[in-house]
Amino acid sequence: MKPVNQLIQQEGAIQDRSIFWDEDIYQKEMEEIFARCWLFLTHESIIPDEGDYQATTMGEDSVVVARQKDGSIKAFVNSCTHRGNVVCFSDGGNAKSFTCPYHGWVFGMDGSLVDVPLEKQAYHNEIDKDALFLKKVRVESYKGFVFGTFDEEAPSLEEYLGGMAWYMDSFMDVPGGCELIGPPMKSILDCNWKNPTENFIGDGYHVGWAHASALEISGGPLAIAKGNAVYDAETSGLQVTVPEGHGFGVIWEGAAALHGGPVFEAYQKWLDERSPLIKEKMGEHREKFYRGHWDAAIFPNCSFLYGTNTFKMWQPRGPHSIEVFTWTLVEKEMPEDLKQMIHADNMLTFGTAGILESDDGENMEQCTQSNRGYSTRQGTLYAGMGQGHEYLDPELPGLVSKGWVNEAPQRGMYRRWAEFMDGKPWSELSTTAQLEQTKLGG
Amino acid sequence: MSNNNQQAGQSVDQSTHFEVERFLVKEARALDEERFNDWLHQMLTKDITYQLPTQEVRYRKDTKVLGNSQTTYLYNDNFALLSMRVARLDTGIVWAEDPRVRNRRIISNIDVEWSETAGEVDVRSAFILFRSRMQRDQATHYGMRMDRLRKEDGQWKLASRVITLDQRVVLDKNIHCFF
Repeated sequence: MKPVNQLIQQEGAIQDRSIFWDEDIYQKEMEEIFARCWLFLTHESIIPDEGDYQATTMGEDSVVVARQKDGSIKAFVNSCTHRGNVVCFSDGGNAKSFTCPYHGWVFGMDGSLVDVPLEKQAYHNEIDKDALFLKKVRVESYKGFVFGTFDEEAPSLEEYLGGMAWYMDSFMDVPGGCELIGPPMKSILDCNWKNPTENFIGDGYHVGWAHASALEISGGPLAIAKGNAVYDAETSGLQVTVPEGHGFGVIWEGAAALHGGPVFEAYQKWLDERSPLIKEKMGEHREKFYRGHWDAAIFPNCSFLYGTNTFKMWQPRGPHSIEVFTWTLVEKEMPEDLKQMIHADNMLTFGTAGILESDDGENMEQCTQSNRGYSTRQGTLYAGMGQGHEYLDPELPGLVSKGWVNEAPQRGMYRRWAEFMDGKPWSELSTTAQLEQTKLGG
Repeated sequence: MSNNNQQAGQSVDQSTHFEVERFLVKEARALDEERFNDWLHQMLTKDITYQLPTQEVRYRKDTKVLGNSQTTYLYNDNFALLSMRVARLDTGIVWAEDPRVRNRRIISNIDVEWSETAGEVDVRSAFILFRSRMQRDQATHYGMRMDRLRKEDGQWKLASRVITLDQRVVLDKNIHCFF
């Protein structure tokens, strides 16, 4: 592995191709990023009752997230502390305990070891069950979105989200909050996990070209973007990157724009009705973000499109493969039929059989696979669009750029990636709070 | 064609079975040959429903629905949505399909029963779909289809299809192909 300052150069604009291919870099990512960052696990709405649980992964670590008797949520590693076997094989459900199928050790929904067969006869009642808890995951929620980290030193989830939280409140903090609809779709892509994250975090550039066929026939107002026919950088939208590595692009007034026909009408009506409430609660800026369409990512591997309302995790499976988990994001107080229409539209566009998803999949894979070539891999890649045109806005967190076609969030993501890969302690990682200080100071 | 409630659930006669089997083979061929408009306009009824629910891995005794997570359909289409998908493939700017993907459908275990409605039969069939892309990109999908076929103007047509894809994690970058 080359030194990090060679892997990422020019404030994130230049990336060494080896970061998308090399096994040693991938293992370092597992250690420095996936074992430290807050990773999305599930939404509180999916596991409302005691004993409800979801199985997922943090990096390549299999974990179970479960609702406890006291209403709290805990998570633990899905691997028996006796011989390592998996204790939960289902996607999720409701259970009182998990019994390892190998020797019958029984674990409670909090990960505690509650029963061991032949405890008296074979272990002579000497086994220390308290020391054989399933490995614990630190869990916190932000507005119902449940995240976990393996790092006890990590700051709170809210601090980790930094300036992104302020923006995400535009839809997460609406009256009643949000929920995710599943069960999630799951599929594979033979690409590096960073390719789809950078695509969602800020690649407005590909929309008009890669998705030209879908835009041509989908019929929603966003169809005008086909072939980059219409684009005004001054008025169309904004891109934001926060020092914590998260970012997004927004198309003003575009929240419902990828939905066609009756779904567009019903969703637009909902947005119009709710906007005054958002404005009253959070002010004009957030109302504007609420009515916009976002492509976004929470570093490192959670992505979503607010408006189209696809919500995704890119689960790494080696340097050249991921599993894609896809849910549908809706507001809890939406009428049930609107929720189901949005759910169906999400599958139609960004599901595994979706008319936009399939365009992206091919691109993601080839962007990774081309680095198989040794000589190709010695080169670098360029994400310098709009560099130097970012600015600080006293009313908005993070760094802002005009227009939704830009690459500032990608650069922010790779800057953050480099900070983590350098093994910096949390106290030395840059934060939105520091940027705010700079703003006040300047 | 005199199926009725007395016959519902019973296997059809040999000649009806032969017709249905020929329909499924011709349909698979039309799709393999990318004759999507023939498929749409000659082989489907206008009120078709076309569904592919996602699999869930659950313990046998645990049937609790989690939150608002009833079902997720990868396909939940009517004739208009299927037409939209075909129109997209016809735009000539679906980059993932150019060079073309070679699809090969194997249809087997065809079991045809009279339905409770006159002129309609219930058909179960197993399928394997091999997809070959570019140089050596391969994906294989397998499962079963529960179809309702209806005879219109002397021709069998597909009136509904529910596809069971056995994989939980779809081992492919997309399945924007028809099953």
